[in-house]
Amino acid sequence: MGSSKKHRGEKEAAGTTAAAGTGGATEQPPRHREHKKHKHRSGGSGGSGGERRKRSRERGGERGSGRRGAEAEARSSTHGRERSQAEPSERRVKREKRDDGYEAAASSKTSSGDASSLSIEETNKLRAKLGLKPLEVNAIKKEAGTKEEPVTADVINPMALRQREELREKLAAAKEKRLLNQKLGKIKTLGEDDPWLDDTAAWIERSRQLQKEKDLAEKRAKLLEEMDQEFGVSTLVEEEFGQRRQDLYSARDLQGLTVEHAIDSFREGETMILTLKDKGVLQEEEDVLVNVNLVDKERAEKNVELRKKKPDYLPYAEDESVDDLAQQKPRSILSKYDEELEGERPHSFRLEQGGTADGLRERELEEIRAKLRLQAQSLSTVGPRLASEYLTPEEMVTFKKTKRRVKKIRKKEKEVVVRADDLLPLGDQTQDGDFGSRLRGRGRRRVSEVEEEKEPVPQPLPSDDTRVENMDISDEEEGGAPPPGSPQVLEEDEAELELQKQLEKGRRLRQLQQLQQLRDSGEKVVEIVKKLESRQRGWEEDEDPERKGAIVFNATSEFCRTLGEIPTYGLAGNREEQEELMDFERDEERSANGGSESDGEENIGWSTVNLDEEKQQQDFSASSTTILDEEPIVNRGLAAALLLCQNKGLLETTVQKVARVKAPNKSLPSAVYCIEDKMAIDDKYSRREEYRGFTQDFKEKDGYKPDVKIEYVDETGRKLTPKELSHRFHGKGSGKMKTERRMKKLDEEALLKKMSSSDTPLGTVALLQEKQKAQKTPYIVLSGSGKSMNANTITK
Amino acid sequence: MIEVVCNDRLGEKVRVKCNTDDTIGDLKKLIAAQTGTRWNKIVLKKWYTIFKDHVSLGDYEIHDGMNLELYYQ
Repeated sequence: MGSSKKHRGEKEAAGTTAAAGTGGATEQPPRHREHKKHKHRSGGSGGSGGERRKRSRERGGERGSGRRGAEAEARSSTHGRERSQAEPSERRVKREKRDDGYEAAASSKTSSGDASSLSIEETNKLRAKLGLKPLEVNAIKKEAGTKEEPVTADVINPMALRQREELREKLAAAKEKRLLNQKLGKIKTLGEDDPWLDDTAAWIERSRQLQKEKDLAEKRAKLLEEMDQEFGVSTLVEEEFGQRRQDLYSARDLQGLTVEHAIDSFREGETMILTLKDKGVLQEEEDVLVNVNLVDKERAEKNVELRKKKPDYLPYAEDESVDDLAQQKPRSILSKYDEELEGERPHSFRLEQGGTADGLRERELEEIRAKLRLQAQSLSTVGPRLASEYLTPEEMVTFKKTKRRVKKIRKKEKEVVVRADDLLPLGDQTQDGDFGSRLRGRGRRRVSEVEEEKEPVPQPLPSDDTRVENMDISDEEEGGAPPPGSPQVLEEDEAELELQKQLEKGRRLRQLQQLQQLRDSGEKVVEIVKKLESRQRGWEEDEDPERKGAIVFNATSEFCRTLGEIPTYGLAGNREEQEELMDFERDEERSANGGSESDGEENIGWSTVNLDEEKQQQDFSASSTTILDEEPIVNRGLAAALLLCQNKGLLETTVQKVARVKAPNKSLPSAVYCIEDKMAIDDKYSRREEYRGFTQDFKEKDGYKPDVKIEYVDETGRKLTPKELSHRFHGKGSGKMKTERRMKKLDEEALLKKMSSSDTPLGTVALLQEKQKAQKTPYIVLSGSGKSMNANTITK
Repeated sequence: MIEVVCNDRLGEKVRVKCNTDDTIGDLKKLIAAQTGTRWNKIVLKKWYTIFKDHVSLGDYEIHDGMNLELYYQ
């Protein structure tokens, strides 16, 4: 241990045997505790031995003082004891033993406890190091004397003590009284009346005195003033007083103070008293003036506002993002808490020069705000309005143009009518079957071309562009007032006019070119058409003689015959080869089908006559209109469009006759059965009324009234009581106690039953009889042992 | 000047000389100097009474030769 080492070091420095002894003792402790006793004894003995040695030296002659002095450092606790021992030498011998014992005890105590201890000097050094004041080595009187030397304590005289105490108290009380009296002496009590109150003379005296004093005071003041004036001090004095007056607080001192109300709350002509607002003692903010009533009013208003329960948070409220003064309002989150977190910021204004304030600045700000608000443009667009069903006059104006257009179209139509009439004499030779070919272009140039052929048309028919131009012309022709309210439109038209003119020029050129082309191609087409038609006619003439001569059987045709109906037959327009056959067969079929038709059966096989005819017609139409024919104009009307579709094969005009089995329309006739719907039985409600049997009592057993009694028996054969029956039924029995009791009862009942009526429960009578039989005597001896009370037995 | 015995029942037993008006803190420093621990780690107790650092020995009525229990925190 560190301490022990230090200790050892110190001890080495000291270098005394006794110290070494104790040091040695303390050195060893952790390692050799079991040897402690020995050590201690040795230590003790060593210590005591050392002591003895020392004392012997002392006895020798006080030379040991030097040694003692040297050892005084080492010695600590024993030192004092030594000193005490040093007094009477006579008793040294006696005391030695005791001291030895004590020393031993002391050292043993130290060694047994292993208490390391420092001497006073060491302790003082340590204390100096730690910064503590040194030990007060005053009268090391640990106890008032040791056990061996009881020092007589002072006699404690309780009486004297008490007296002293009492005296002290009295003195203290007297002192206090004196002080109080001094204080109170100045105050007049009620008991003490002034003498002059009762006595008029005294009063007069007093009043005279007072008067005198007053006069004296006045005189003195006058004197002083005169003196001041003499010395010219009066001006100074006046200045001082004037200064004082200046220093007095006035309205100009109010400059710069803040008033914590809105300036609007002060009305003109009203006087309002403002007081300083309360603030903490240590707060060093500047003063604020408030009016108490206004403060209360404001608070009341705020409370009313709070109680109104306005919604705190309007998620979709479109707050103005711009402040009153056209400055961007900062968007804050949870702005309702700002007052709570940051504190209230009430309206306030500062007093200006001379303690006044006018709301000039505020009014100016208000004006600016109002101006900005007027200038502000709202981003919200005008909301949707219901559309009116009638046109407004403005809108009516815009229609004028379209009216013109309509007129033009009518003109065109007239021309069309003319053309149709022209076409009629052509017959069904759709020479000029102008069915909207692409070559022609947009307008009616084909027709115009025809016209040119027929009747030389001086001008090319007006194209759309020309029509537009004519429109404009007609506009001018009409000479109507220019539509009001559309000056801008007119301007645009002018620009358009120019554009149209340019375009028209180009188009005209192109038209001329196209017309020339068309003329050539048209002629070609016309020729082809004529050829085709001639061919058709030729065919018809040719076919008849051919047909009559020969019957042609074709494998494919036979096969096809057996096949049945072909719905798409002949629609494509490619069946020209089969035409002959078709016609021949057609004739045959016609005769054949005549009969079948009368049947009215719709059977499979070849189609009926009508179909053939239809097909033929189709073929004809198909052949008549070759690919090179013009397409009918789709905008001629629905009929033309349908015709076009038919030609193209988009429509299905044939009735589909596919092989079909005749479905029996009638079910088997039978009246003797009905279909049982077993699913209907599952209804809950229908099941209730399920029994539909006979419900009437038997007539034979009218007077039969049986007395029904149902008995239940448990496993032993006993009849079940209602309670037991209930237990059985519900499945729940009694608890443990109850069942035990029941069992006990049952056992007792069983025992009772087993009991014989004529005998005791233990069967003593039976036993008695058996014993009698065995002893062959009609009696039984009841004594304990076998020995009976015979005369023989009664002996000594 | 009194001498106080401090025992920690683990082998450390020290006798410390100090004044009556010394505080417990000073006493702890003295103990620490002798035992080799740190004075702020020492706890002086008597049964469950913990002696506080700022109170003097006289106020605690710790007299000469008293045994104090030495603990560590």
